Amino acid sequence: MVMKSAVEDDDAGWGLGIPEKMKNNANWVDITHEFKGACKELNLGELLHDKLFGLFEAMSAIEMMDPKMDAGMIGNQVNRKVLNFEQAIKEEAIKVKDLSLPELIGIIDTCFCCLITWLEGHSLAQTVFTCLYVHNPDLIEEPALKAFALGILKVCDIAREKVNKAAVFEEEDFQAMTYGFKMANNVTDLRVTGMLKDVEDELQRKVKSTRIRQGEQRDPEVEREHQQFLALFNRIKFMRLLLTALITFTKKETSSVGEAQKLVVQAADLLSAIHSSIQHGIQSQNDTTKGDHPIMMGFEPLVNQRLLPPTFPRYAKIIKREDMVAYFSKLIDRVKTVCDVINTTNLHGILDFFCEFSEQSPCVLSRSLLQTTFLIDNKKVFGTHLMQDMIKDALRYFVSPPVLSHKCCLFNNHQAKDYIDSFVTHCSRPFCSLIQIHGHNRARQRDKLGHILEEFATLQDEAEKVDAALHSLLMKLEPQRQHLACLGTWILYHNLRIMIQYLLSGFELELYSMHEYYYIYWYLSEFLYAWLMSTLSRADSSQMAEERLMEEQVKGRSSKKTKKKKKVRPLSKEITMSQAYQNMCAGMYKTMVALDMDGKVRKPQFELDSEQVRYEHRFAPFNSVVTPPPVHYIQFKEMSDLKKYNPPPGSTDLYLAASKHFQQAKLILENVPSPDPEVNRILKVAKPNIVVTKLLAGGHKKDTKVLPEFDFSAHKYFPWSKSSDSALRERQKVIPMA
Amino acid sequence: MATMIEENGPSTHEQSGVSPSYQARQKLEGLLNKNMRIRMTDGRTLVGLFLCTDRDCNVILGSAQEFLKSTDTFSQGEPRVLGLAMIPGHHVVSIEVEADSLEDAQGFGVNH
Repeated sequence: MVMKSAVEDDDAGWGLGIPEKMKNNANWVDITHEFKGACKELNLGELLHDKLFGLFEAMSAIEMMDPKMDAGMIGNQVNRKVLNFEQAIKEEAIKVKDLSLPELIGIIDTCFCCLITWLEGHSLAQTVFTCLYVHNPDLIEEPALKAFALGILKVCDIAREKVNKAAVFEEEDFQAMTYGFKMANNVTDLRVTGMLKDVEDELQRKVKSTRIRQGEQRDPEVEREHQQFLALFNRIKFMRLLLTALITFTKKETSSVGEAQKLVVQAADLLSAIHSSIQHGIQSQNDTTKGDHPIMMGFEPLVNQRLLPPTFPRYAKIIKREDMVAYFSKLIDRVKTVCDVINTTNLHGILDFFCEFSEQSPCVLSRSLLQTTFLIDNKKVFGTHLMQDMIKDALRYFVSPPVLSHKCCLFNNHQAKDYIDSFVTHCSRPFCSLIQIHGHNRARQRDKLGHILEEFATLQDEAEKVDAALHSLLMKLEPQRQHLACLGTWILYHNLRIMIQYLLSGFELELYSMHEYYYIYWYLSEFLYAWLMSTLSRADSSQMAEERLMEEQVKGRSSKKTKKKKKVRPLSKEITMSQAYQNMCAGMYKTMVALDMDGKVRKPQFELDSEQVRYEHRFAPFNSVVTPPPVHYIQFKEMSDLKKYNPPPGSTDLYLAASKHFQQAKLILENVPSPDPEVNRILKVAKPNIVVTKLLAGGHKKDTKVLPEFDFSAHKYFPWSKSSDSALRERQKVIPMA
Repeated sequence: MATMIEENGPSTHEQSGVSPSYQARQKLEGLLNKNMRIRMTDGRTLVGLFLCTDRDCNVILGSAQEFLKSTDTFSQGEPRVLGLAMIPGHHVVSIEVEADSLEDAQGFGVNH
């Protein structure tokens, strides 16, 4: 019997419109038996497939019934009914009024944990919206819970808006999807904080009325109630302060940042009380040993399961309540730090602030808040300064170009003004991008730094042209002054900083193999840091020339002697640090070459690539830069060839030379006037390395083929050799390292 | 003929030999890119284009949609789009195709 279909043929509809087809056409024929029989005839490992479909395509298929890939499976395996909020109310599985204090505390704490889990990169559907109450706060009759639910929604909404606006996240950082949930948009922020405040006041009265009175025989029941009221009060207050702080951040005035800082400090004060009262809240009830998720009243981890895309199988692991307070306190610390940015006025200082902040690998919310605090609505820095003015100030601070000096005739020259203004305008976008890059996570930063070099190469070109034009103008007007390579020096400085950061971050991200260290450190010490130092000293002398001119003018008018005390050069600290870094890199380079000579660096069997391929890949982004010109592999090999020395140094000579470099770095750093943590971190590496390289020079462990290990724990860019650990410890017994 | 390993994909050349394995391949190839409905051991049903299978009856469906528990009525809410999905053979409970697609795939649905 052949089953003939009665419906019209429409082969065009195979790919699309399946649902329509399903409804119209129920002519399904069961072929299970024949199909399975036919499959058995295939050979082992043979795939029967269309010409256009191969093993490669097959790989990207999700596997059904695999707990890790199949998001839909979980819902079907759990032996309970998954109810949404309305259904749960109807079936009385959930209370919307007369909740007990422990229930409220438990629900609030779980919500906080969900919020944190969301901020750490999970989807809203699997975190905050597993709480049924936030699906529709209008249905909640209990005022405290209603206010709290609205508060949580507002916090999510503002956080999401901030993160979206700052645009410093990638899919691994943050899930911005709301899955069509309402984020309490029908209620104003002010109304929600007002509701929270009302609940808070009411609770405060309750706390007071249950407080111990003098000479009273304390009923343990009342005492417990008192504690629970207090616990709830603290939570509601924390919620209100958190929300108010976030709302304050959305205001446009700079003063609001200080206000936000005060609010988060107040919120932080509540944390220890919240932590100590966690046990008052109810816990999840069900048996989790059978693979079910912990559930408690008001929460249904599977309620949104069908909203998730198929490639979204992971069940979000909500953080534990015990860790909640620690996370909040760290978050608040970060937000406090963010607020401090407004005290930095110089663009270079701001850039350093961003770099330093990023080094702690902060969360996406604090990173975003920093971005939105810096550039309010992408126009003005801190809402008050034009980016162009910031750049001019930075130029004055760095090279004191005549064109920006009040005392120079160029300052009021129209043509000169046009030149400099258009240059500064062109600078503002790349500099904003540079600052934005520092808001991304560490791994993405590296990638983006490589790309922004192209933009800086264009700026470099323009800077040199503007310098030349200004110089020829100045020669006509004030022949005794020069305008040589001022703007160019400044851009070059930033270029070099980006390049150095790009290379160094490879150590932090553990991208390089040990056999690659030597050329990376070579590039840094022999090339980039050398360029950086000459750039800084050129800027420094340009500043001095400008200062001399000013002094002469001042002296000309009043005979008073102004040149009395020696001023600290603004760039001196940076020059010193660069010297130290250069010595550290040089020391590492020489150590690596010597270790290689002793056969202590494992090299890969280059089959499909070569050292040249790797080298070129490592420095590929530098090819877009004109100044400094990229050093190609052949050049590098020539420049670093040891045979050009007579006699060529052996490993012992190199270890000794390395030791001297580390010694030098130590000397430089120990003379830094007020050492910052970074100085101490480098010293921590430099000191043992002096000893290790000396030992190696003395032939220690020369014959062992044990490969050295490098430990980057003390400093993320400079390791110290671990292989001589034991030797080092022995030495330490004799000469205590100081 | 039995030892021949068929080059995968719908073969256009006419073969006169009628070995069981050749017939089986012809049957399956006739179903390629046809709509298929598979019920799984947990009661869910997937509907999608048949793209690939092997000896263990693992099936890959393209543009697959997931329907909850029912087989005939789709009252249980909207289907969920899965895209490319592989159903392991041991989870396949039943396989159905649309009647009109059997015209091309000889040997299926025929009592023989």
